[in-house]
Amino acid sequence: MDLPHAVEARDVRKHFGSVTALDGLTLEVNAGEIYGLLGPNGSGKTTLIRALAGLVHPEAGELRVFGAPPRAAVAAGAIGYMTQAPALYTDLSVDENLRFFAALQGLTDVGPRIEEALRRVDLLDRRRSTVSTLSGGMRTRISLAATLLHQPRLLLLDEPTVGVDPALRREFWDHFRALASSGVTLLVSSHVMDEAARCDRLGLIRAGRVLAQGSARELIARAGSTDLEGAFLTLSAVPA
Amino acid sequence: MNPRRAGAVARRIVLGFRHDRRSLALLFVAPIVVLTLVGALWGSPATGTVRVIAAGDVDPQLYEALRGTNIQLQAMDAPAAIEEVRAGRADAMIEFTDQGATVTVEGSDPTRTSSFVSQMDAALTQIIIGSPLRSAVTVKYLYGGPSYTLLDYLAPVLIAVFAYFFIFLLSAVSFLRERTSGTLERLLATPLTRVELVLGYLGGFALFALLQALVILAFTLFVLKVQYRGNLATIFLVEAVLVVGAVSLGLAISAFARNELQAVQFVPLVLVPQIFLSGLLVPVDQLNDVLRALSTIFPLTYANEALRSVMVKGYALTDPLILRDIGVLALFAVVLAAAAVASIRREVA
Repeated sequence: MDLPHAVEARDVRKHFGSVTALDGLTLEVNAGEIYGLLGPNGSGKTTLIRALAGLVHPEAGELRVFGAPPRAAVAAGAIGYMTQAPALYTDLSVDENLRFFAALQGLTDVGPRIEEALRRVDLLDRRRSTVSTLSGGMRTRISLAATLLHQPRLLLLDEPTVGVDPALRREFWDHFRALASSGVTLLVSSHVMDEAARCDRLGLIRAGRVLAQGSARELIARAGSTDLEGAFLTLSAVPA
Repeated sequence: MNPRRAGAVARRIVLGFRHDRRSLALLFVAPIVVLTLVGALWGSPATGTVRVIAAGDVDPQLYEALRGTNIQLQAMDAPAAIEEVRAGRADAMIEFTDQGATVTVEGSDPTRTSSFVSQMDAALTQIIIGSPLRSAVTVKYLYGGPSYTLLDYLAPVLIAVFAYFFIFLLSAVSFLRERTSGTLERLLATPLTRVELVLGYLGGFALFALLQALVILAFTLFVLKVQYRGNLATIFLVEAVLVVGAVSLGLAISAFARNELQAVQFVPLVLVPQIFLSGLLVPVDQLNDVLRALSTIFPLTYANEALRSVMVKGYALTDPLILRDIGVLALFAVVLAAAAVASIRREVA
């Protein structure tokens, strides 16, 4: 049986005023893989992620998450979206924040889930802390924990490791890998090359279009370069 | 529509207030401070004396007629008298001629002038008819009474205005924070619907709005001892319907502001016309046609009419006027809530 892709985008177009954010973008993400969206700032990465989270409505093209329209997938609890900045209520405690986001997903008996999510991001001891007292890195980890509570099948992570120190960044990726092996699909945007190398497949995106798609090794081979950075520069230089 | 998700939003707001003690304190302390000041200003009958200079000779009867009023009469020659008025040391001068009397008033403060002129008129009439006016006319009060002060008349309106103002500001700024901090984006990427979000906000803020209304009402009635007739529950019901609309108005307006400063700047635009035209400054039936028509689109106008009718005139909840006003306020609340829902677009560039 042919299972639907986790994400399927066909010729998706979106403008904000005179700015073209997505210009006929096409890609597909297989279930259970870590897919890296690689591209410079303003290339359309965030717009695509927000469209998949049901926050942006494309003017043309087709967008499917597990075969359903994005908003339906969100309503069914299939999507976990981690925004670029850790969007938390800073005057509430970590526990209160997580309980709130769990309630929005319709979860009951959330105590053990919160404990599990906090253990994963190594912040169980800060459960009672007010978010405003936490460092930026800690807030990012709480934000990830909030995204994981309802065990979504697709995680949309918009530059999740910005402002995270190298040791923690490694932990994050170990964690992403563990999630992927448990069957979760991850769509991660980044412009950090060593992160991109950790993804199963990559989409090089520029000016709202996917320039090339494949594993890091395939892209390097296609560009005839020695590393991913070289491949990215070579493939982006090809006129779209 | 899932009540549990809306409930979670309401709970989140209540928790936020629990941590933000200062906002919570201001919510209750600010109206009390303002009402205390208003009570001190308008809570007692006017006692300011008006100093009048009579130019030339004065009929001794006039002194007699003015006894007990706040008009203080003094005789002087004409040039000195006009100089006293010019210098602001006296409010008016009076000159008696064969044809009658000419009163020259200082005239820069219209309220002072009109109260003085009517008293002077009464005193002069008394001289002409030759008997004390008070014995000729007995004043009976349909509403109010001799001890009734300006505060008693204004209190119903002030109660509504303060509750409306503070709750509008609070909900506008809170929701703006939700928009600017990125949490709104996060909320909209969950199964939570926009209707549930607005209902949650209404629930959370209505709790504080009603508590505030209760505190304002209790302070006005039991500390400032404003005289009132009607039923307390009816007064509270009108307040409740009004503040629920204020929360929605705040949510909808926050869509037009990019930061908290701008949200505050909406106050003169959105609230001040309502306050001015709702009967606080000038009774609605004395407004000109254009302003009166404008006043009908403001919720505060209906709240004031209802509160004044209940508190001053003792109307019951079942009175058609009160039922109509509450109905209109409820309609405003629903329309404003719908506007708030429409103002939350998922798509934010």
